[in-house]
Amino acid sequence: MNVYLLAPTVLRVAPEDLPARVRARFAAELRRAGGFAQLCLLGAQACLDAAGGDGPLGILWASEFGAVHATRAALDEDLKRGEPAMPFTFIAMQPHLAGALLAQRSHPVTRTACLYLPPDAWSRLPRLALGWLADCERVLVGWVEESGSGGVAHRSDWCLFQEKPVAGAVRCERALEAENAAAATGEDWIARIAAWSGPAPLLLRGGEDAWRFGRHG
Amino acid sequence: MSGAFVRACALASALGPDLEAAVERLAGAPVAPARDTQTGGPWPYFAIPISGKDWRKRAQAIARSVAEDLRREAALAPGEWAALPCIVGSSSFCVGAWDDGGWQALEPSFEFSSSLAKAFGARGPVTPVSTTCTSGFSALDIALGLIAEGEFRDVLVLGVEFCNRLTVAGFAGLQLLSATAARPCDRERDGLVLGEALGAVLVSAAPAPWRIAALATGMDAASVTGPAPDGTATAKTMRAALARAQWETSRVDLIKLQSGGGPLADLAEGRAVRELFATVPGSVSLKGALGHTLGASGPAELALLLASLSRGRVPATWGFAKPDEELGLAPSGGDGKGVRRVLFNLSGFGGSVMSLALEKAG
Repeated sequence: MNVYLLAPTVLRVAPEDLPARVRARFAAELRRAGGFAQLCLLGAQACLDAAGGDGPLGILWASEFGAVHATRAALDEDLKRGEPAMPFTFIAMQPHLAGALLAQRSHPVTRTACLYLPPDAWSRLPRLALGWLADCERVLVGWVEESGSGGVAHRSDWCLFQEKPVAGAVRCERALEAENAAAATGEDWIARIAAWSGPAPLLLRGGEDAWRFGRHG
Repeated sequence: MSGAFVRACALASALGPDLEAAVERLAGAPVAPARDTQTGGPWPYFAIPISGKDWRKRAQAIARSVAEDLRREAALAPGEWAALPCIVGSSSFCVGAWDDGGWQALEPSFEFSSSLAKAFGARGPVTPVSTTCTSGFSALDIALGLIAEGEFRDVLVLGVEFCNRLTVAGFAGLQLLSATAARPCDRERDGLVLGEALGAVLVSAAPAPWRIAALATGMDAASVTGPAPDGTATAKTMRAALARAQWETSRVDLIKLQSGGGPLADLAEGRAVRELFATVPGSVSLKGALGHTLGASGPAELALLLASLSRGRVPATWGFAKPDEELGLAPSGGDGKGVRRVLFNLSGFGGSVMSLALEKAG
């Protein structure tokens, strides 16, 4: 099966800039969504804008730590004080909600999942995406991580997998020769594809798997 | 059509520390959930009857107990067992560790899931997944993909939800809990009662008594906390499962309902079922007995249902007494010897909807 990757999108946002970026893109739509879901949507929507298309969509993303800030807020601000968790504080700690919010933006979403993975396990995402293409026309794949400390940007990187080739798409397949592949992580594999140029294929390794990315056409 | 089978199941739940105890208890008189638990506060809560002051040690003890049961039933060779990949579905992972250890006690969900896999003796790749209440079936979905790829013959699927104050407080804040009891499909239902469980399912390409004919997924984006009132997304997902399994509706013998006693959610599912089925087959809900075990509910309810059916029984729906005419479902237990095809519904926050088609093999 030939599979193509479109619109590798790398988003880095300073934590203090996130609210303004979200307002600029989504107006007031996401004001109660929680920071992690907002970060997911900002990157995912940018990827979809770049890729185009409108077929049935799967959304698959991973994070090492998930919605850390919302979880901290729910635990520290509510439970520690012995108060009931506020509905939107509680909901905001569920990273999975980003899928529903994207679906509410008129995307025909048929399935979503949020995985918690260590950085070297990124290669499970394209493997799962290939399986999902059996019943989704397109699979949006992302890696999202909130900034853990000052001076570090939030990350929300996304790309789109589909079987239909289009101009500018990257052909991708599992590589058998993992020893020649460069080690990549969840934080940089999409960025490396976005930055890749030249005719030679790009070989990236993550954990037990390696992937080959080549120019289409 | 899937070429995967349920090779073995195990369960720790409020009904008992193991599946055998749970099935026997379910065949008896209904038992009310505990009250005034440390986790649930004033809300009723279905707790696993295994004590332990340290949250993490208790979780490990439950995992080791379930692992022992599953290993015995699965009868895999030691090398095959050790090589198992483990897919862990949960909505809360180890957030309960905060209750007695504070922020420092929390660990990344991958680390917590890896510790559970280790308690099971599974040394293959670990993949934690969260899709809130459907997490356990998202784990099953990933497992089916691994088997379809041909890379693994057997995959361990865990649905995990251990007691924690945050989840109870969150559902209370959303006004989704009943102050009295879970009454699935009942006219007087007034909300959910939460519970904890560890459900383990060993899925295999090797033939076993129950075949997974299809697992369909859907998205109901009407609201992030509840289904569309007309049940459209649930109906569409059930229809997709039937189509993939190549079943006519008349071939379904039993529907395992998502129904947990939520006034609107139960109504939406009822509408979906009645839209699809001219004659509604037998149905059952297990949340009156287990509580709503959220991310564990798929594997936990699957384990309990298949164990009951293997003993020739469709379990009773605890908490259901007075039919609701508007809902139009009357789940009832009884003889399960003729049940060959089951449609199994699950849905959750974030709009995730799943429907599993199960067929007796042979």
